[in-house]
Amino acid sequence: MRGLKIGAFLLAVVMLVGLGAVLPALAEEKPRRGGMLRVALAGDPPSLDMHQEQTFMVTIPMSPAYNTLVMFDPHGYPKVIGDVAKSWTVSEDRMTYTFTLHEGVKFHDGSDLTSADVKASWDKIVSPPEGVVSPRKSEYEFIKSIEAPDPYTVVFRLHYPAASFLGGLAHPANFIYAKKYLDQDPNYYKKNVMGSGPFKLKEYVRGASIELERNPKYWKQGLPYMDGVKYFIIKDDGARAKSIRADRTDVEFRGLAPSEVEGIQGQMGEKVKVTHPGQPVHWGVTVNIDKKPFDDERVRRALSLALNRYEMAETLAPLTGLDTVGGPQPPGSLGALTPEELQQLPGFGKDSEAGLKEAKRLLAEAGYPNGFKTVLTNRAVKLPYIDLGVYLVSTWKKIGVEAEHKLEESATWSQSRLNRDFELLVDPYGFAAAADPDEVMSKFLSNSPENWGRFKDPIVDELFEKQKVERDEQQRAQLVKDMQKRILEKTWVIPGLWWTRLEVRSARIRNYEPMPSHWLNRRLEDVWLTEK
Amino acid sequence: MAIATPRPYTVTAVHDSALYRIWVATWKFVRTKPLGAAGAVIIIAMAFAAVFAEFLAPYDAYELNQRLQFRGPTLAHWLGTDEFGRDVLTRLIYGARIALFIGLASSFLGATAGAMLGIVSAYLGGKTDLWLQRVMDIVLAFPLLILALAIVTVLGRSIPNLILAIAIPVIPRTARIVRSSALSAKENVYVEAARAVGSSHIRVMFHHIVPNIMAPYLIVLTAQLGGAILTEASLSFLGLGTAEPTPSWGLMLSGGAPMYAEKAPWLAIFPGLVISLAVFGFNLFGDSLRDALDPKLRHRS
Repeated sequence: MRGLKIGAFLLAVVMLVGLGAVLPALAEEKPRRGGMLRVALAGDPPSLDMHQEQTFMVTIPMSPAYNTLVMFDPHGYPKVIGDVAKSWTVSEDRMTYTFTLHEGVKFHDGSDLTSADVKASWDKIVSPPEGVVSPRKSEYEFIKSIEAPDPYTVVFRLHYPAASFLGGLAHPANFIYAKKYLDQDPNYYKKNVMGSGPFKLKEYVRGASIELERNPKYWKQGLPYMDGVKYFIIKDDGARAKSIRADRTDVEFRGLAPSEVEGIQGQMGEKVKVTHPGQPVHWGVTVNIDKKPFDDERVRRALSLALNRYEMAETLAPLTGLDTVGGPQPPGSLGALTPEELQQLPGFGKDSEAGLKEAKRLLAEAGYPNGFKTVLTNRAVKLPYIDLGVYLVSTWKKIGVEAEHKLEESATWSQSRLNRDFELLVDPYGFAAAADPDEVMSKFLSNSPENWGRFKDPIVDELFEKQKVERDEQQRAQLVKDMQKRILEKTWVIPGLWWTRLEVRSARIRNYEPMPSHWLNRRLEDVWLTEK
Repeated sequence: MAIATPRPYTVTAVHDSALYRIWVATWKFVRTKPLGAAGAVIIIAMAFAAVFAEFLAPYDAYELNQRLQFRGPTLAHWLGTDEFGRDVLTRLIYGARIALFIGLASSFLGATAGAMLGIVSAYLGGKTDLWLQRVMDIVLAFPLLILALAIVTVLGRSIPNLILAIAIPVIPRTARIVRSSALSAKENVYVEAARAVGSSHIRVMFHHIVPNIMAPYLIVLTAQLGGAILTEASLSFLGLGTAEPTPSWGLMLSGGAPMYAEKAPWLAIFPGLVISLAVFGFNLFGDSLRDALDPKLRHRS
């Protein structure tokens, strides 16, 4: 054992010295061509059509095959830059955006990408034809019409000057598809990959891997650098981490558990880079307002008051990465509630005893002095779903609420959510673009399909309507804060914690900066790999 | 079967009480079957832990404590703490409850249903026997765990479903063994006599055949108990049994253990040890009980 340790130590020293010699050279190093990026991916995409799907399991492996109209600058998030669009102009009233497209953009089949394709793709997102799903449709309600007056001009007309327009347009799911194929079958892209991106599909073996190869005719000169990207489908959390540790994959683009990352860093040292790019997802509890006793505000508030979110973060952070206390808007984003503002709201006080006492009082007042029995429906996924569920069930016992922890397979769980077949539901939500309130807060509107608890609060709706047209950023932030305060005061949802993403990548990956959301910056067109 | 126990010659009338007879029989069992006795001790300890968990357990099984996450075995926490800072010993003690409850309930249910089917099948014979046994063959063809897995997947996860899922695979195994005993019991002259005086089939089965199959029935019951505990642990391990935070041995082994085994090996070692010990105990006891109750083997010892 000792011999092994000394050996490992010597090896580490040699590597460090070697790295020290190489590092200055790297600073001026030119991008290297070639190499295959190996990515660990948590599961198979339900279908390949990102317009219709809601999971990173599609965005991550499909992004390299497509372009979008505009995108977040890979080297300057959250700045929006053109992708297929060369430039754009905005009308005086900010209701008309005119985009000029790059010429010579080619789909993988050799045909030209023109304004007709942009219009067809965006029409599919904004007003999907029958038999086509568009889950993010409500985020683009401000779009009135899309016109293509000539092959290289696209005009977006809006209902009102939406502050979130460009960020919404840059959302990574909005791939530009070829009109030709959409005309044949609006669901063509569910099973086929035909984009204009830097990589094209070589092979997809369900349950095993998705392999993309370099598009030699990519319209951006000299790109991409890599020969290809291979996504290995590894469902088990631990196995994914171990694949990086054993150098069988180079990166896990979504994020790994802190305890796994610790192990990887301990073994790989300088060979990996660990970043905490942001907090893209919040895991909390959705309350079915139609089920008793959750129609009673006092009961909902008691459930929230029983939790001390600061202690919860301390317990769950090392296990799951759920480590940040925050309101509905992601911490640090426009209109996010500050820690001081949060502490004034129910369930965000730091005194656990006071919280429990008040919770018991409220339950007694509502007619449940000895608590009640209920069911917490959860997804049978260890991180962070089950761990969060364990925390909730164990803590609610303190106020006499006996929640049965009902675990369901992913498909059943999302069916239960859709059919509202739950009393309390562990439910994540988040953002995949610039965390604009239009994107994040629309979940809490009375008519939102994603408002699974089905609460209806006209005050919340009204504040949302006001903020979406407010041009003054400060004013807008205030409206968003008021909206959140209203939601938390009525405890329409029981907030949990924001998840800090821990992205682990091989140090060989260059010219790449992770963004807050794991959906973003997955094109990889100018990313390159150093020699092995 | 107390009738069959030979009365010790030296015993005076003063000592001829039921309690004394049990004591003598127990002592004889301990002396002749020390391994079986060891198994019985393990079972008794487990039952004791399950019944008096509230008094035995040093901590609350559900209390989370962020200051105690991943503590190794210490004087305060003999078997360490888990990823939520819960005491491992406490959870093992409470876990005995689920293990014993599910184990007992499912093996009792399975063995009893199996015994009934075995008796009916043997007693009625003919076409009924043929059909029942072919159905049993089909059920027997599935391995215990696979069948339980399939049942719990179809029914959904809850404790009653879990008991049912573990009980069903036990049925054909018991039915087979009981059927063979019942077949020989059926040939006894007193059965024929009972039929001749006009007793109903039900009466004959319950009054004359059931007492004869008690020995194999009890043996199967104890033998399956160990298996049932293991199946419960396996199902929980596979995510189909009870759900966290209920303290269950299988869950303890599947929850934090594989993820944190490197950092906190006690999370895997102790639940694993306890499951092995419980199954071992029931198997030892069941084995010795078979020897003790089998009339063919009894006089040899």
